[in-house]
Amino acid sequence: MIETFKHIQQSLEATPHLLRLGRLFSETVLIEIDGSEYYLSFEKGHIVSLVEGPSRKTPWRFALRTDAEALEEFWQVRPEPGFHDIFGLVKIGRGRIDGDILSLVKNLRFFKEVLTLARAREELAA
Amino acid sequence: MSIEPITGRYVAVTVGGAPRRIYFEEAGRGRPVICLHTAGADTRQWRHLMNDAEIAASNRLIAFDMPWHGKSLPPEGFETEEYLLTTEAYIETVLAVIDGLGLDRPVLAGCSMGGRIALQLAALHPERFSGFIAIEASDFQPAWYDIDWFHRPDAHGGEMGAALVSANISPFAPNAERWNTLWMFMQSGPGVFRGDLSFYTKDASLIPRLPAIDTAETPVHIIAGAYDLTCTPEDAERTAKAIPGATLAVMDELGHFPMSEHPDGFRPFFVEALEKMPGTVAAAA
Repeated sequence: MIETFKHIQQSLEATPHLLRLGRLFSETVLIEIDGSEYYLSFEKGHIVSLVEGPSRKTPWRFALRTDAEALEEFWQVRPEPGFHDIFGLVKIGRGRIDGDILSLVKNLRFFKEVLTLARAREELAA
Repeated sequence: MSIEPITGRYVAVTVGGAPRRIYFEEAGRGRPVICLHTAGADTRQWRHLMNDAEIAASNRLIAFDMPWHGKSLPPEGFETEEYLLTTEAYIETVLAVIDGLGLDRPVLAGCSMGGRIALQLAALHPERFSGFIAIEASDFQPAWYDIDWFHRPDAHGGEMGAALVSANISPFAPNAERWNTLWMFMQSGPGVFRGDLSFYTKDASLIPRLPAIDTAETPVHIIAGAYDLTCTPEDAERTAKAIPGATLAVMDELGHFPMSEHPDGFRPFFVEALEKMPGTVAAAA
């Protein structure tokens, strides 16, 4: 999974409109997948560090908790209904969002498009 | 170069004892069909169907911007008013527009909150309409988000609203139409999406009214997209079951804004719905 996040990190650097959208976003986000923790630290829209947990001392602003199977479907070019969006994962009981949700909502387009950078990879490979 | 057949004009009506200047667009001729936009958007959601020559050959499609939306200004004094749409004001506005345009028992087609009010009108004022097409419509939806997110001084409500409702657009939607759909939410005035959602997520008065709808007099056809997280096919099915005689169609590859996000995918479902309504002159193939 860390490789996927590295791919997202690299793709983000090659996506100018996302760097522009995220220019005010400097927060750490926890992605938890089947209990495994991944801390994505953003600085002015760039992912400056990717750290695998577990960690009890890494502060984070908001968290997305889901499972690997759900994320695999989420990253399909055309996911099944409910798997097509992070709020869809929440709605169908396959995801949970914790923490400062307003911070997420203020940066929602940026964060959702960053996460789907892994989806774009599959689209290119197809 | 081409000029579209859609024409736009304004009609003066009275709602709540105060004047409203309502912008409406129309295209086609024949049976009148009033088209209601979703929360946080405007008449432009219907432009593809209004430009459809075959549908417009036997249907006069009329869409209008609710006050506070699109090109319909908010009422005088809005600057000190908290915009909160109510079922009563919404019904009064729809009926005032029908009277203002001199329409005799149009079909009413509404999407999302427009579908909700279509069902309210089916229950409360069926004599004013010939049938109802309720798209992404259900009895009641509590919010799965905090509506206050979308009206605050430190962030752009339109951009946040668009980012939220993108969750309701199907991955099958053409990219250009996805973004055209979202643009309307980005343009929505401050607090308008929130005020619409207040109506949509807090008023449960429709639930006990559904069994009384007489579909023998005014047919009700409900359409729901599988990618709609707000009004899921299950929500639409529950609602259709509560209305004796109502029919339901589920669109596997569409979301919450079908006429706008994926017009080609939605067209056959809308044509089917029109064929279920009284006054069908000729099937629009």
